[in-house]
Amino acid sequence: MLIIGTDAPAYTMLDVNRAYLTATNTTREDLIGKSVFGVFPANPTDNVSKNIERTIFSFEQAIQTKKVHTMYNYRYDIPIPGTADFEERYWTTSNTPVMDENGEVKYFIHSPSNVTELYKLGEREKAGLEALKKQREQLHSTFMQAPVGIGIFKGQENVVDLINPPLCELYGKTADELLGRPIFDVLTHAKGMGFEELLENVRLTGESFRGTGQKVPLMRNGQLENVFANFVYEPFRETDGNITGVIAIATEVTELVYAKNRIEEAEARARLAVDAVGLGSYDLDLVTGEMITSTRFANIFGFDQPVPRSEYVKVFHPDDLQGRLEAHESAIVSGSLDYEARVIWRDTSLRWVKVEGKVSYDTTGKAIRILGILLDITDKKKSMEEERKLVSLVDNSVDLMSILTMEGYNSYINEAGRKLLGFESEEQVRQIPVSQLHTPEDFLLVQQEVIPTVMRDGRWAGTMLVRHLQTGEVFPVFNNCFRIDDPVSGVPIAVGAVMRDLRPELAAKQALADSEQLLRNITTATPIGLWMSDEKGSITYMNQTWLDWTGVSYDESMGDGWLQFIHEDDRKRVTDQMIKDLDAKKLYESEFRLMHADGTTHWCIANGQPQYRNDGSFSGFIGACVDLTEQKLLQQQKDDFIGIASHELKTPVTTIKGYAQVLEKMLKKKGDEKEAMMMSRMDAQVNRLNSLIGDLLDVTKINSGKLQFNNTEFNFNPMVKELVEDLQRTTGKHTLVENLGASAMVYGDKERLGQVIANLITNAIKYSPHTDKIIIHTNVKDDEMTLCVQDFGIGIPEDKLEKVFEQFYRVTGELQHTFPGLGLGLYISSEIIKREGGRIWVNSKEGEGSSFCFALPLSAERKAELQLQNAQAGRTAYA
Amino acid sequence: MTKKIMIADDDAGIVDFISILLEFEGYKVIATLNGASVLDLKHDLPDLLLLDIWMSGVDGRDICKELKRREETRNMPVVMISASKDIEQSAIDSGADDFLAKPFELDELLRKIKKNMRS
Repeated sequence: MLIIGTDAPAYTMLDVNRAYLTATNTTREDLIGKSVFGVFPANPTDNVSKNIERTIFSFEQAIQTKKVHTMYNYRYDIPIPGTADFEERYWTTSNTPVMDENGEVKYFIHSPSNVTELYKLGEREKAGLEALKKQREQLHSTFMQAPVGIGIFKGQENVVDLINPPLCELYGKTADELLGRPIFDVLTHAKGMGFEELLENVRLTGESFRGTGQKVPLMRNGQLENVFANFVYEPFRETDGNITGVIAIATEVTELVYAKNRIEEAEARARLAVDAVGLGSYDLDLVTGEMITSTRFANIFGFDQPVPRSEYVKVFHPDDLQGRLEAHESAIVSGSLDYEARVIWRDTSLRWVKVEGKVSYDTTGKAIRILGILLDITDKKKSMEEERKLVSLVDNSVDLMSILTMEGYNSYINEAGRKLLGFESEEQVRQIPVSQLHTPEDFLLVQQEVIPTVMRDGRWAGTMLVRHLQTGEVFPVFNNCFRIDDPVSGVPIAVGAVMRDLRPELAAKQALADSEQLLRNITTATPIGLWMSDEKGSITYMNQTWLDWTGVSYDESMGDGWLQFIHEDDRKRVTDQMIKDLDAKKLYESEFRLMHADGTTHWCIANGQPQYRNDGSFSGFIGACVDLTEQKLLQQQKDDFIGIASHELKTPVTTIKGYAQVLEKMLKKKGDEKEAMMMSRMDAQVNRLNSLIGDLLDVTKINSGKLQFNNTEFNFNPMVKELVEDLQRTTGKHTLVENLGASAMVYGDKERLGQVIANLITNAIKYSPHTDKIIIHTNVKDDEMTLCVQDFGIGIPEDKLEKVFEQFYRVTGELQHTFPGLGLGLYISSEIIKREGGRIWVNSKEGEGSSFCFALPLSAERKAELQLQNAQAGRTAYA
Repeated sequence: MTKKIMIADDDAGIVDFISILLEFEGYKVIATLNGASVLDLKHDLPDLLLLDIWMSGVDGRDICKELKRREETRNMPVVMISASKDIEQSAIDSGADDFLAKPFELDELLRKIKKNMRS
């Protein structure tokens, strides 16, 4: 041992014992008072052990902690005296601090012990163990790296003792998850599937077990999979021969199994596919005549399940049996069967089938078997029929339809097209290039515009000129052409075209234009203003005649521009009437004064016929406007003339009548009765003359709207009675029978109404020359006072009934001269009755007599009505 | 006392036969073809005036109005005569006491004269 001071870093050696000197081959003088590291520097052979650093650290530890600090098994070689060599030494040294009275470390004792021999022995033992370990590792490594899964399961519970990565991989687990645990606790999905029993059997009997393609349900990569494996279970024997577990060696064959399954599925799918496309299959044994068919085959024949061959033959259409027989006969020779035929289903529907088959022969060349398929081609046949109809449609079209190939030839033109362009045959269609169907200039359009547009946009439509092959006539057609693409590749393969000959259309257009021009000429030439309005009454057309009248432009006359030429006093009435008739959608009619451009005023009558669109909606009026000025003037002149003439006639009539009556009076006084009578007759004739003049005057007044009424309220029947009695006095032959019913107060012109009744009675007398009874009926019915004059005379033919109330109507034919008169009486009567708010009618049968009637409103109603009319007239006037 | 009737009409025929009739019936008749002369009447008035409406150059209604306006002739009955029935109302409006349309029955004329004669 050494006693060393605490004077770091020198650490001076203070004392030493003999044993130390011996062990280090040193003398006391070599050491005392000297630094320990000066005497014992680092070994020149040892560059790596850092013994000096370890020693300093140990010293410091001892001083600081004041506790013993030991350094174990470190090497520090000792020089061999007399040589430059060193002796290998291993040491275990303790540094023990010694405290002074104050508890401070005074010095410490450094006591090394030579452990070289012990150390070297330990080292040798360590090397031996290392070699053994290496051997075991090599074995383990082999086990682990084996390409098959290997595992050792121990005991009854099959605890995983060892497992290599391939088996871990097969199980889909890590070694950590498996090691030390019962295998089926980890592989839960494989539990209870019989593997436990197999393992137990191996463990208990020592007999190994071999499994092939076993299915093991395993949870791998997060999902449950069926894993297929080939495996061997071998007993695991301990060195003493006891079986403590099972060695399992396994290879996964899942892919293999799946591949096999896939082949099986593919077969099944192929079978399904044959069924799915509707193919039936059959296998005919030509030797036995037996035929095996698929269910689909039976279905196509209309059976639910396969039936014997003879049943199939029965349902063939009788007309197709011969063809089938011939097909079979030639199949034996040619080796393949192919025919189409119809079969009749139980529900009598007809199906088309196509039969195909291959014939097999034996070594002697005898046909022994036909194997084939059956196809339902009904739909295809139907679509062929549709196609045939389509072709027929195209063939019968009046428009040209063609298919132009990309080479510039027509592959097809329908019959209408061939005729249109002058093709003489279908061959010609395919032979004559399309360029021949146009003049060179027109073909430029085809090349430069039509074809490029069709290629680019898919279609082109427009007018083009074509040339007839035979006549050379160039004429316009409307061409609608389109690109036809290959349905699969999408590459353009042709151009389809539909062309319409435009000549008829152009001719029609020209005809229309001609007719329009004609119409325009007519409308311009006509002396009548023509106009059209929309449904709101706004003018949309005026003809030239109107424009000439007013002297303004067409545009200025549109809308309500025309109204400014209507006389100020008439304007409101005209527009009111128009609005009213527009609302009612009825014939518009009004009379007004039109101010012409030359300053003159013209009376016009305008009427408009309501117009309707095709959908039935009202579109406005089409109307005419007739200048009445001349007519009005003539009418006025005529009325004035008749007025003056009749007035002038009345003066001499009055004079003659006056003289006749005076003379009659004088002659009577003198007693010259005969002469007086003659004067009376003369007076009666003058009265007739006066009556005719009166009629003429009345008609004139009616026509000019000047017929005046002096309305009063009176009781109807007494007036009739008085009148009938007066008239009875003037007729000798006829008896006027009064059949007067209820009476009522009426409001009207008593004298005018009397005139009507007198007219009806005198007519009755006049037209019943061979009978002598006239019946006058009156009654009150439905708020009306009615009167009928019934005679039993010649009557009126049915077709003339409507006309008797017309102006100047007279009995025509043979009797014309028998019944004198102006034909004004009934006209005047009907006008009077109408003006008095009543109605007049006739019932008659030719040869049996007539009944002329009129009905008048009762006084109260008539007065109320007139009041209303006056009120309205007043409002209109002030509006 | 014999009643005096004046008749004014521009037609000589009418004036003539009415005069004959009225004298035959016992009236004293003064006749004139010039309607306007009626307005010269101041005193010695007729008991009734038969006045035609349409006379050449003069309208009977204007004369009637004037007669009815004047104090001295206001009470003289006027029966107006016209070929047009339609102007009856205007005749009454101008102050006529009665109206007769041409041609007329003599009895009607006599009845109207009696009815309107100033007593």
